[in-house]
Amino acid sequence: MTAILEIHNLRKTFDGVSALDGTSLSVEERRIVSLIGPNGAGKTTLFNLVCGFLPSDGGSIIFRGVSFAGMKPHHIAGLGIGRTFQDLRLLRKVTVLDNVMLAFQHQAGEGVLRALAGWKTPREERANIQEARGLLEFVGLQGKAQDLAEALSYGQQKLLTLACCLAMNAELLLLDEPVAGIDPDTSQRILHLLRELRDEGKTIFLIEHNMEAVRAVSDFVVVMDEGRKIAEGTPEAVMQEPAVLEAYLT
Amino acid sequence: MDYLLHVLILIAIYSILSVSLNLISGYAGLLSVAHAALFGVGAYIAALLALHFHANFLVGILCAAIGAGLISLVVAAPSLRIHDDYFVLATFAFQVIAFGVMNNWIGLTGGPMGLPGIPQPTIFGVVISSHAQFLVLAAGFAVIAALLVRRLVRSPFGRVLKAIREDEVFAQSLGKNVMLYKLQVFAIGGGLAAVAGALYAHYITFIDPSSFTVTESIFILAMVIVGGSGSIAGSVVGAVLLVSLPEALRFVGMPSSVAANVRQMLYGGLLVVFMMFRPQGILGEFAFHRK
Repeated sequence: MTAILEIHNLRKTFDGVSALDGTSLSVEERRIVSLIGPNGAGKTTLFNLVCGFLPSDGGSIIFRGVSFAGMKPHHIAGLGIGRTFQDLRLLRKVTVLDNVMLAFQHQAGEGVLRALAGWKTPREERANIQEARGLLEFVGLQGKAQDLAEALSYGQQKLLTLACCLAMNAELLLLDEPVAGIDPDTSQRILHLLRELRDEGKTIFLIEHNMEAVRAVSDFVVVMDEGRKIAEGTPEAVMQEPAVLEAYLT
Repeated sequence: MDYLLHVLILIAIYSILSVSLNLISGYAGLLSVAHAALFGVGAYIAALLALHFHANFLVGILCAAIGAGLISLVVAAPSLRIHDDYFVLATFAFQVIAFGVMNNWIGLTGGPMGLPGIPQPTIFGVVISSHAQFLVLAAGFAVIAALLVRRLVRSPFGRVLKAIREDEVFAQSLGKNVMLYKLQVFAIGGGLAAVAGALYAHYITFIDPSSFTVTESIFILAMVIVGGSGSIAGSVVGAVLLVSLPEALRFVGMPSSVAANVRQMLYGGLLVVFMMFRPQGILGEFAFHRK
């Protein structure tokens, strides 16, 4: 097993308060790794640093041997890291299909001159529409392509963001609370999709508070508290650790 | 008859301005109050080239577009690092500086006296001298500008613009270089405004800084908002309404000194009414809102 993402001694403080206090962890490829911990443990901050939305105050992030120091979010995304957000970011006033269409990388029609010339763009668009419809079917949103994203239920919107990550052709998916606040059926479907994606070769790194889901889906669990990693291992082993029990009880 | 043609020519010129500002503000969501400055930059570049170098009209218009596009980039690069309200302030600052240069660099721009005697355009040996001929020319440019912007916003490029308008962070997380798109949109919009400026200079044959003030910028923005941001047809409707409504005041027998003030109040009032009751404008799909 090789690590796809390696984080060493990562630090971040906000106004003197330490959010990440020398966190180190690694995510091995073709696995589902869950990052858990009490609120304020620094989980989302860690995701934001990996994706380049926040600058770090020290330490390193290495993806497939490439260091992220000073890279912009769009550049990091382009390397093959997809991400969903806790507060569910997507284009609500735009159709479901167009949300997915936006996610494809290296579209010729996204360049000004190509867009103006219109050359090759229609063919590219047709191919992308086909692929986008396939992805929507894969996540179970067939028949919703022409609806506005805001017309979808919360669970369906989470499925849509997953389809966007897949359209990016990301190798590593960072999912911030993929099943929080959604009905059990959709939740089961998402967990099933995650396993299927892992079996196809994707690596999934997720944050989740729903312990049942974490136990059901994770190959490996990393536990954080107060900006540090306090435990890691298989779901069963981690849940037994005194430090973890203590962090959750206090 | 010439009067009617004159109004139509102004509508064509203002349509170019409102359509191009719509690309920047309506589609990419970057509220700018510097459009009149870029309109002015285009007018001065074309006028100076025609007066000092006897440049051909088409060469002048091309140079105006490129020059204003480059200036847009210089203005946008630092301004785009700040967001929302502060971005509006940065464009306002540029507008004020540009007016200051036009008004005070007397050696180049003639200062408040302006530049008189700009020749009428000649295209392939034909002098455009009548109102009807000029209307065909201006309308032709307006149609080209509208088609260009339409093509852009309907392409994958336009899809990214809408994404930036709706949720910049989401666009970045999908690998879109948001800054690059904003710069491109600003340069294209500024270049098109300069085309309108060049047409204006050759049409009126005289320009002075008073045509390129912040009031003018807000007038163009009002066209975009009233017509409908994110709608090209809306921008044309906005230009038609805001150019022709004040003209209509002449026919109710209002003296011109009063009409000038009423014109200001009219579009100020229209802006307020639209912001309150129909923020997406007549044909628009998107309302300016706080994120």
